[in-house]
Amino acid sequence: MSKLSNISNMAQVFDKLNDLKMLFTYGQKLIPIIKSLVDFMHETVPLLENINSSISDTTSKIPKASNQINNVTSATELATTEILDIVDSISNDITKLEGALKVHKEESEKRDEVFNEIKLMLGDSPKAKELIEKYEELNVTTRNMDELLTIFAKIRDDAYNITLSLQVQDITSQQLAAVNHLIESVHVRLSSLIIDIDDTDLQEYDSTGIEVPDDATFDPNASYDKSAERQEQVDDIINKENEQASQSEIDKLFS
Amino acid sequence: MELKFLVVDDSVTMRRIVANSLRNLGYDNFVEAADGKDALTKLTSDDQINFIITDWNMPVMTGLEMTKAIRGDERYVKLPILMVTTRGIKEDIVEALQAKVNNYVVKPFTPQILKEKIDQILSNL
Repeated sequence: MSKLSNISNMAQVFDKLNDLKMLFTYGQKLIPIIKSLVDFMHETVPLLENINSSISDTTSKIPKASNQINNVTSATELATTEILDIVDSISNDITKLEGALKVHKEESEKRDEVFNEIKLMLGDSPKAKELIEKYEELNVTTRNMDELLTIFAKIRDDAYNITLSLQVQDITSQQLAAVNHLIESVHVRLSSLIIDIDDTDLQEYDSTGIEVPDDATFDPNASYDKSAERQEQVDDIINKENEQASQSEIDKLFS
Repeated sequence: MELKFLVVDDSVTMRRIVANSLRNLGYDNFVEAADGKDALTKLTSDDQINFIITDWNMPVMTGLEMTKAIRGDERYVKLPILMVTTRGIKEDIVEALQAKVNNYVVKPFTPQILKEKIDQILSNL
């Protein structure tokens, strides 16, 4: 009985030794993998540190970029105001010139009427005829004034069209505000990433210094599209909505 | 009826452009406001204002919020409101109509469109 028990124990010992051998064999296979993992860690840690430093660097630069965008908006608004001042001044001068020219034209027309009366009184004198022809050749004032008035009207229209084109400033400032808003979102995400990685003080990366545009102050889809199509599409929508509204009012009356 | 416009826009440039356009159309009587709240203050203190041209995107109070506030006051239920904005998507236009703006113009606008919309609103009064 005791002999049988010893044999059974020995078999268990061999089984355990076999398991141990398999473990060593497995361990031998695992060592290169662990080694390559350690190598990978060695290579990755500086890379991660580099990434962390880059994120940190980028994050610290974001407020500056954001402020530069705000400066661009302010500068273009200032420049646009200056252009509007100049255009208004040109328009005012043109209006004054037009007024003066119209008065001058009326006076010239009166002078021509007087001259026509004098012409009739001069009779058939050849010398008088010659002088009259010469005078009429030189007297192109009235005709020139009409041309000048047309040119002035064109300058005024052109100046007004410059004014209208300056709507681009409002539209681009809305686009820039949308970019600024996006930058702020990136800033917040990067800051929280740094805090997660580095346990850095939140104060260091807070958004102080960034003038974040309020959502309500800009349209992210603003575009400088001068085609008539856009307004036509708007008009179509309005017409359809109004038709639907009218129909629902009629339906209410009959229900 | 002599018109007195209230031009509401946070952009100084746009206020000047709209004002110039109104002058070109022969309307010289207007006041300006920089946001919806400012516009409400000016509207309630000046009973001669009888036409509003407003932007949508503004700080403090948007043009849409301002329109809703105006329509909520029975004195101004029929006051003409023309929305002039960059927002051109259907949802926005429908929202503005539901807030009871009288008409809608997308920026950049032309003086012809501005005139057409003002005339349309006036003829429907």
